[in-house]
Amino acid sequence: MIGRSILGALVNLTKPGMYVHWGFIQISVANLIVIGLMALTFILAIAIPFHRKGGRS
Amino acid sequence: MTKTKERRFNPDRDVNPWKGGYRPYDIAKEIVICFVVMLVLVVGLAIVFGSPDDKAVTIQTWSNANQVDFAQTAITELDGTSATAQYGPPYNNVADVSQKIGPFSPEALVGVHIPVNTAQDFVIGPLETVTNSPVLTMALNQFNAASPSQQANWESAYATAVQKAKVFHNVLVVPLARYGPVGIMIRQLTDMARSGALDTSMINQDHFYGTDYTKSLLYVADGTYFSDQGTALHLSGGQWGMMNETGNFPGQAWLWLYSFWYQIPPFTTAWEPNADILVSVLMMILSVLLILVPFVPGVRSIPRWSRVYRLIWRDHYKGRE
Repeated sequence: MIGRSILGALVNLTKPGMYVHWGFIQISVANLIVIGLMALTFILAIAIPFHRKGGRS
Repeated sequence: MTKTKERRFNPDRDVNPWKGGYRPYDIAKEIVICFVVMLVLVVGLAIVFGSPDDKAVTIQTWSNANQVDFAQTAITELDGTSATAQYGPPYNNVADVSQKIGPFSPEALVGVHIPVNTAQDFVIGPLETVTNSPVLTMALNQFNAASPSQQANWESAYATAVQKAKVFHNVLVVPLARYGPVGIMIRQLTDMARSGALDTSMINQDHFYGTDYTKSLLYVADGTYFSDQGTALHLSGGQWGMMNETGNFPGQAWLWLYSFWYQIPPFTTAWEPNADILVSVLMMILSVLLILVPFVPGVRSIPRWSRVYRLIWRDHYKGRE
């Protein structure tokens, strides 16, 4: 029991899934979050300036 | 004297020679940093969220959870009306049921190479391994000695009766009818399934360590219990199930386009019987088109027109126009 609580995840995702329905589209909230994070990463990758050391050569 | 024709400059194909400065870049350092970041992310996310760990559905769990569904499925395996029995190649020779595009049917072309005889492999064969039940041995002898038409009559009577079956004190009770030895056979098969012995007998014994679960998976898939479990977990085809994972875990979001076609007509209507092969071929065509983007006029110009590269390299282009 102790081992199980040590090895177990901190956040329990093994519950009935949450889904968004829109017409024929069905998508899980977890997938939406991942897609949102991917879009955010893409935007940040473009928006954040390149790190420069010693200026332009 | 030959005259060389000069090609016109095409901004999608040609580049001007670089006249600016150069600077060193350590790609090995980038690879190491990316690897370490990904490692920390994977371990960190695994600690916080864990991973899906739903138990596999076996014949034993199925038959214990729903004895009636198991018995109703078992009789369809015996009388040859189950989905597996009617599947055609690669399992059995049922004509004109394989998916096809026009005359082209890969399954029919390859033919039967994983032979499955549901009556023998799913019912009679496993029952014949039980040697300590004289009642069952008598029932099997009676069934095997009967004519095909007699067998069909018993099977038909049982298939009708089992629709009204109930579980009473954890025992399967099927209304009495003229189903001869079939009642004893399915009852014994249900007991065998509930004990886990049927799972064991289904594993392909060709190798020392049996890992071929084809037959038991087909058996489980023929019942309604398994598909109900899948639907409850949003894993069915019509629920974009290809993209989903059990519980609240993220799934295979990158399969959205593959899954998309299964949600819209004509893949859900006129093309539904051949949807798998049609979607597969469509995705192959789209994948080839994606690979060929650099050669498709117009499409290959989108990065230049969208000017996203100018956002990425904005320092470089600052003050150039």
